[in-house]
Parts: sequence; C-alpha cells; structure tokens
Amino acid sequence: MRPLSFVILVIVLITLISGSIDAKTPVKVTEIRSEHSPLVNFRIILRAGSINDPKGKEGLNALTAFLLAKGGTKELTYQQVVASLYPWAASINVQPDKEITTFIGNVHRDHLEEFYKIFSDLLLNPRFDPDDFTRNKDLAISFLEKNLRGTDDENLGKEALGLVMFGNHPYGTADATVQGLKSSTLEDVKEYYAKTYTIGTMWIGIAGGYPRAFVETMKKDFGKLPDGKFSPISLPEPEAINGLEIAFVEKPARGTAISIGHPLPVTRKDKDFYALLVANSHFGEHRTFNGVLMNRLRGDRGLNYGDYSYIEKFTGGTGSSRFPNVNTPLRQQYFSIWLRPVQPENAHFAVRAALFELEKYVKEGLTAEQFQQTRKFVSNYSKLWAQTLDRRLGYKMDSEFYGTGDYIERIDKELKTLTVADVNSAIKKYISPANLKVAIVANDGKSLMEAMVSNAPSPINYQSPVSEKILEEDKLISNYSLSINPKKTKLIRVQQLFENESPSRTLGRKDKENIR
Amino acid sequence: MYRVLQTLIFALMATAALHAGPPGAGEKILPFPIHQTVLDNGLKIVTIEFDSPGIIAYYTVVRSGSRNEVESGLSGFAHFFEHMMFRGTEKYGKDKYNDVLKSIGADNNAFTTDDYTTYHTLASAEALETIMDLESDRFMNLKYSEEAFKTEAGAILGEYNKNYSSPFLTIFEKLRNAAYTVHTYKHTTMGFLGDIMDMPNQYQYSLTFFNRWYRPEYCTVLIVGDVQHHKTVAMAKKYYGKWKRGNYVLDVPKEPPQTKGSVVEMSWKAETLPILAIGYHGPAFSDAQIDMPAMDVLSQALFSQSSNLFRKLVIEEQAVEFVQGGQQDSRDPGQFTIFTRIKDPKMIQKVSDEIDGTIEEAKTTPVSAERLAEIKSFLKYSYAMGLDNADAIARSIVHYIAMTGDPESVNKVYALYDRVTAEDLMAVASKYFDANNRTVVLLTQEGAKQ
Repeated sequence: MRPLSFVILVIVLITLISGSIDAKTPVKVTEIRSEHSPLVNFRIILRAGSINDPKGKEGLNALTAFLLAKGGTKELTYQQVVASLYPWAASINVQPDKEITTFIGNVHRDHLEEFYKIFSDLLLNPRFDPDDFTRNKDLAISFLEKNLRGTDDENLGKEALGLVMFGNHPYGTADATVQGLKSSTLEDVKEYYAKTYTIGTMWIGIAGGYPRAFVETMKKDFGKLPDGKFSPISLPEPEAINGLEIAFVEKPARGTAISIGHPLPVTRKDKDFYALLVANSHFGEHRTFNGVLMNRLRGDRGLNYGDYSYIEKFTGGTGSSRFPNVNTPLRQQYFSIWLRPVQPENAHFAVRAALFELEKYVKEGLTAEQFQQTRKFVSNYSKLWAQTLDRRLGYKMDSEFYGTGDYIERIDKELKTLTVADVNSAIKKYISPANLKVAIVANDGKSLMEAMVSNAPSPINYQSPVSEKILEEDKLISNYSLSINPKKTKLIRVQQLFENESPSRTLGRKDKENIR
Repeated sequence: MYRVLQTLIFALMATAALHAGPPGAGEKILPFPIHQTVLDNGLKIVTIEFDSPGIIAYYTVVRSGSRNEVESGLSGFAHFFEHMMFRGTEKYGKDKYNDVLKSIGADNNAFTTDDYTTYHTLASAEALETIMDLESDRFMNLKYSEEAFKTEAGAILGEYNKNYSSPFLTIFEKLRNAAYTVHTYKHTTMGFLGDIMDMPNQYQYSLTFFNRWYRPEYCTVLIVGDVQHHKTVAMAKKYYGKWKRGNYVLDVPKEPPQTKGSVVEMSWKAETLPILAIGYHGPAFSDAQIDMPAMDVLSQALFSQSSNLFRKLVIEEQAVEFVQGGQQDSRDPGQFTIFTRIKDPKMIQKVSDEIDGTIEEAKTTPVSAERLAEIKSFLKYSYAMGLDNADAIARSIVHYIAMTGDPESVNKVYALYDRVTAEDLMAVASKYFDANNRTVVLLTQEGAKQ
C-alpha cells in the first residue's frame, strides 16, 4: 500500500507544480510567414464539427459557427462588421465540417490590425444577437429545404451517399437537419459555444505578410478562452456492406445523379493510401481525361459531363478550380465514384458501366506502363494543389491533423519507392466492387428501382454510331448482373432527407409514412 | 488623440507594405509589366512575369463566344466547339494529347462565355515548349470524326442537365430571351435546348466554325508566371508561324432600344423560394468611356453588402436571403441584372417596390464623397487581393483581352474608376434604369401561394 500511496502523492504534486507554472494548455498554432506577401490569410480551426452535435440538435455546430462568422461582436453589430470590412475587400467565412470547423479570414496587410480586432472579437467576444441568430438559422434551414433538396441534384446525391454509407456511425448523421436546426435555440448556441470553444479545441492558422510578433498577440488573445482539453469522439468501425445497398431519392429532376462508395480503412497517414492515390488517379482522377471512368462513360459513350472516383472526402473543385477544398479531414475515409447527371433512360446502364469498369479495375489493376505514367502525373500534379499561401496553410494544417508531415512532400517520398505490385495489391485489398452503397437522385426513382432490383436488361441507344468494339462491350454491360440487396434498398422522398435523422436509420425503421 | 495615434501607426505599417499595396491615383492596378508582341500572322503573344517559381499559366484566348453564334438554330456552338478542341489532331490524337499532358502533370481545361473561349494549362515552366507544341498543333490542325463529334454532343446535353437542376440557368434563359430581340445575347452560352438536341446533326457547320474563328487574328496566347518574353516570342514564331489568317468578318445584329418593359412569370417543380430577377439594358464594355465603370461603382453603391438595401432587406427586415445587382462586362451592351431570393411569397411585391425605390433614388440623390471613396477602395483591394497566383492573374487578364484585344485595358479601366463622380452615377442611373428598358423574371414554386 505504501508504494502506491507514494506514487499517487507524487503524481498529485507534479500536477500541482506543473499547474502552477503553466495553468493552461498553450493554444496550438500553425504558421507560414512570408515577409513580402501583401496578404494575410487566417484559418482558425475549431476541432469540433457536426459529429459533436447533440442528438436532436443536428446542425448546432454549424449554426453556432455561422452565427459567429456572420454575426456581430460585443462592440459592433453585424451591419457594422460588414461596413468595416467593405473598403478593405476583406472577407470572413466559415466552413463547418464533420470533424472540424474552419473560420477563414483574408485581408490585405494594409488593414491587418483593424481586421484582426474584428475577426478575433467575432470568435472571442461574440454578440449573440437574436436577430442574427434568426437570420442564420433561416438561411441554414432554407439551404437544406430549398438548395440541397430543390436545386442542386449533384450535391444532393453526394450528401445522400455520405449519409447512407456510414449507417449508425457518427459520420452517418447529417451535418444538419431541418428539425435539428428548428429545435436549436440561441441558448443552445451559447451553451455549445461555452462548452466547445476552448483553448484546447481552437487551433490558429496564419499565413502571409504579418509582423513577426503578431502570432504572440494571437496566442495571448485566444489564451483567454476557457481552458479545456481536446478530446475527440471515438469512432467505431463502419458497418459492413452486403451487396449493393441503394437509396433512390425521388424528386423532380431532369437528369439522374449517381454516387457510389464504401468506407475505406486508410487515410493520408497510412502508407497504402499513397498506393491508392496512384491507383485512383488512373481510375477516376477528378475532372481530367486521365481516368478510366471518364474515358469509358463520357469519352466513348457521351453518357454525361463527367465521371470520377475518390479515395477521400472531396468537396469543391467543381467551378473554375479543379482542386479540392482544404480543411475537410476525416479520421475514417471512404472510396467513392461520382457520375454526373445522366439522361434518365441511361441511368441503369450508367451504374452498370461504372461497376463493370470497377470490377475490371480491381481484377486487372494497372499495367507497368500505366503505373509509371500515373505515378509521374500524381507527383507533378500534386505540386499544383498548394499554389497560394492560403492553400499551403490549409494543407499544412491537414498534414498536422493526419500526422503525415508535409502531405505534398510525403506524396513525393512515398511515390518514389512505390511499385506496380504495391498499387495492384492495395486495390485488391481495399476496393470492393461488390459491396457498395449507392445514392441515386431520380425523377422516377420507383421505376428505376424496380428495373434495377429485377436486373432487367438496360440496352443503350446512341444518337450516333459508335464503334463495333463499344457495341460489343455494351451488350455485356447492359446485361451485367448487379447483386442488389433488396432488403437494404429503398425509395426515399426527397423531403425525408435531412429532415430529422439519417436516412439509414429512417430506412431501418421501415416507416410507411417515410418510405414508399 | 487615439485616432491620431492610430493613423500614425497605420501610416508606418503602410510604408512597409507600399510596394505591395493597391495603387494610389495615377498608378497602374496591375503591379507587373505586360509584354506584348504581335506576330506577322496577327497572333498576339502576351507575357507577364510573376513570382511563381517553376510554374506557368498558359492561356489561349479565342475572341469568339456565344455572341458569335449569328446563324439561327446553331446557338451553343462556341461552347460545343470548345469540347471538340480536345478531340485531337493527326500528330497528337485525343489519347496522345492527354498522355503528354499527363506526363507533365498539367492542369488543363477550357471555358466559354458570351464573348470568348479560353483554353488554359497550368504546369511546370520547364514544360513551356511541350505545351506550345500541343496547343499550336490543335489550333492549326484539329481533326475529328463525325462519330466523335456526335458522341461529344451527348456530353453537352449532360452538361446542360447538370446545370438545369438549379433554377438560375432557366431564369437566365428566360431573361435573355425576353430582353433581346435580335442580338445573339438572346441565348445563353449553353444555347437553346432545341439547338443542343440538334447538335449531333451539325458536323459540317462545326468545320465552318473552326475555319472562321480559330485563326491567329482572333487569338491571343497569354503566359503568366516564370516566363521570359523574348524567348517565348521566338518559340511562338517557330510553333505558330505557319498559322494562316482567316477572312471572316462578323456582323452581330444590333439590338434596337427596348421600348416597353416586360414581365415573365415561371414556376418550378422542385422546392424553391421565389426568385426575382430584374434586368436593364446597360452599356457595352469600354476602357475609355465612363458609363461601364460608373455602372460598376453604382452596383456597389446600391446592391453590395454595404448598401442600404442590403441592410434593410437582408439584415433588418430579413425579407430576402440575398440581394445582388451588377453588370458583367460584355463587348456589346449587356444586361444590368438584380437578383434576390425572397423568404416569403407574400413579400414579393414589397421587395420589388423596395428595389424600384432604391433605383429611383439613385437618379437624383448623390452618393456621398466618403461612400464613393469606400467603393473605390473596395474595387482596388478586391482586385489586388486576387493577384496571389499565376493562374488567377492570367484569368483576370484574359477577360480584358477578350473585351478589347488589349491586356492594358485592365489598367485603363481601373484608372477610370478613379474618375467616377457622384454625378456620373446619377447620370447612368437615369440613362439605363428606365421602366421601358426593363425585363423582369419571377420564378415561384409550382402551387405556392403569393
């Protein structure tokens, strides 16, 4: 007994001593100072996201973040904030995500001090104005009801896949729901803020032409937040998928949007991720003509505008830039295929064609020549991903999240020693062509579901003649058998998505009101 | 006292940042020299050196967009043709072209607007000659089969379908169609749906299109980043020197003045809030006349987040989700367009009245000197803050090349902003914001009560 008591006493004493020297955890900082840059970019990350939402209040993390970024400070109303930033063309935005929430500020260094005062006050001394709360809440609800469900089928499909893929896992809950937002009050927001925005969870990122001493000022200011440790929510293994489990989302739609995928047990921190990075670039590099999917579906057959695949969450890159948003890291990733909207009569064929190619890709892998070409491409292409200081900062913070060291350098390093055998064995080990979740947004989801579940042939008619080789292959594809799991395949009205809980749970309940 | 101290501190800071800040009056907005050379065949080579070690942005601008689609039944062809440019030549077939780009790790794409099409590649500076070889080859020697042409038409329909889930494309279509009677701005860059459906049958016309517009006198090659002008020009002579001039002269029908306002109402099947779009015929782009810069300043005064209208409708009354207004630069007179998404269908009339009230007030009430200075500051900082990478700089310059053929237009336009007065704003408001010159499109959800 004596030795144990002694140990406990020593631990208590050490704790007391260390506590008296440094009462608080220091604020985490990541910086890239560039003396001659005229700009200053801030990325202030809250290490909490939608997975921290309390049950029944889905969207509270995002709502809180929006109220901070698009609200007032104790000194200034929202209108005064907007008016102050305007002549400097400075901006403050927020990107709430599953694991983290990123506050993004950009200013010319001519106005750094004045800008920082406002930006930091928004985060540290928020106004919590009831009118700002109502405005942001209405916008968030409208985003789900009108934008996502009504007018953005591509993102609807992707978001729906994200939900169904992870089932009862914390990632399987929507980042926000209509009812979750409706039941969130200003008091909930204040409580969430007080509990979540602590020294331990806040992470400062700054890049550009700021004075050397500036970071110390920030550390001091953010050091005034309540003490608190960062303790991530533990994540279970995602549920196993059995066959093709399809969610048909029915809504008025001109084209049919298709997303397919399954969870992936590797991330940037793992060596095998880099083998998959090369493999995936060959199979479906985002918005290039390098990928097998793009060449077979769009190039040969003109089925749609684009067909790509991913080995991690990929948002953005659909406008003038083709590179993904930074700061959307996940501890557990997923593989996905994105088929941009196809003509409704070709939807069944398009799913078959994508899975036909996927099976071939897993079975055959890359040839030595394809491997060499793709490895060289990825090595060069990745150098373009972080051209601005702001993006370099984002990548640097993501690198710290994953513990990869500099991600772009890591790609270079890993690719140097990679072999075609590594790549092909990684494909076989991690990519499943048979067990996948699928989300399809369609005007007539019911008919499409019936056709697909019954494995009816799906011949394709072209407006123009295509080569004999393609026609021969089409015969195989149009009868390609899909092992759809009918028990896990359902039709959902679009109004049920993002309403009150994840569709995977809705599906599980077999609620007749929700599902036809 | 505090203000004096604060001013002094910022004055010191500003000194440190002088070389990098936005320009004062009389200085050029673009802080980098523009080098230009015109080759004998009319092709313009423009380079801008920028501190992006080892990286270049390579743009080819064709001054042909949906504005050039003068023949009936062939709208959307400039954009369609942009797709065909990726179908290869004898020397570099489609797959070979892509393999070369892949081997250098390039980011490569293209886009089309009302007035131009541009092809862009972002890659290592070492790859300059490889890119020039590829690009000059396809601009001079493009070759594709009728079969490939028809297949690509399917991708265009796919692009239309993907855009169509948003009501904004449809609103634009309706607005353009109602506002213009003869000018080619009547259709969007995507083209009329009927014409898109008919595209597979227009192989022969596609050859005509290429012969007309893909000629050196209509094109500019712009390279920004780690580049040297004299070396680039020498290289361009080698690769583009044999390119022959064309002889087609475009005659775009002139749009007569609108004499009566019009209203188009439309419904939308999927869930949506009411969207109100109001268009007025405005000026054409010019780097010499004050009208277009004055319209830009006016749009900031009336419809930016710092405007009274935004404060009232978005923040105080929370009647709309957003309100914005402005006019994109265009070679011929374009539309000044106001967009707002209204939170409650019952508020449509009130919101419309508020916008009308703001517009009427702008005709007679001068903007204060302080507000004018804020707007000019915003415009300059906004541009300066976008100059953080070679690709973004190239993209901003391409726009001006397309408008006038001269990249220096960027400096000229920003110099004009400095000259805009409160009187200019009232003058352009009176000139263009006339009820007879207006087209309104109102989109509501099918079955929603107003």
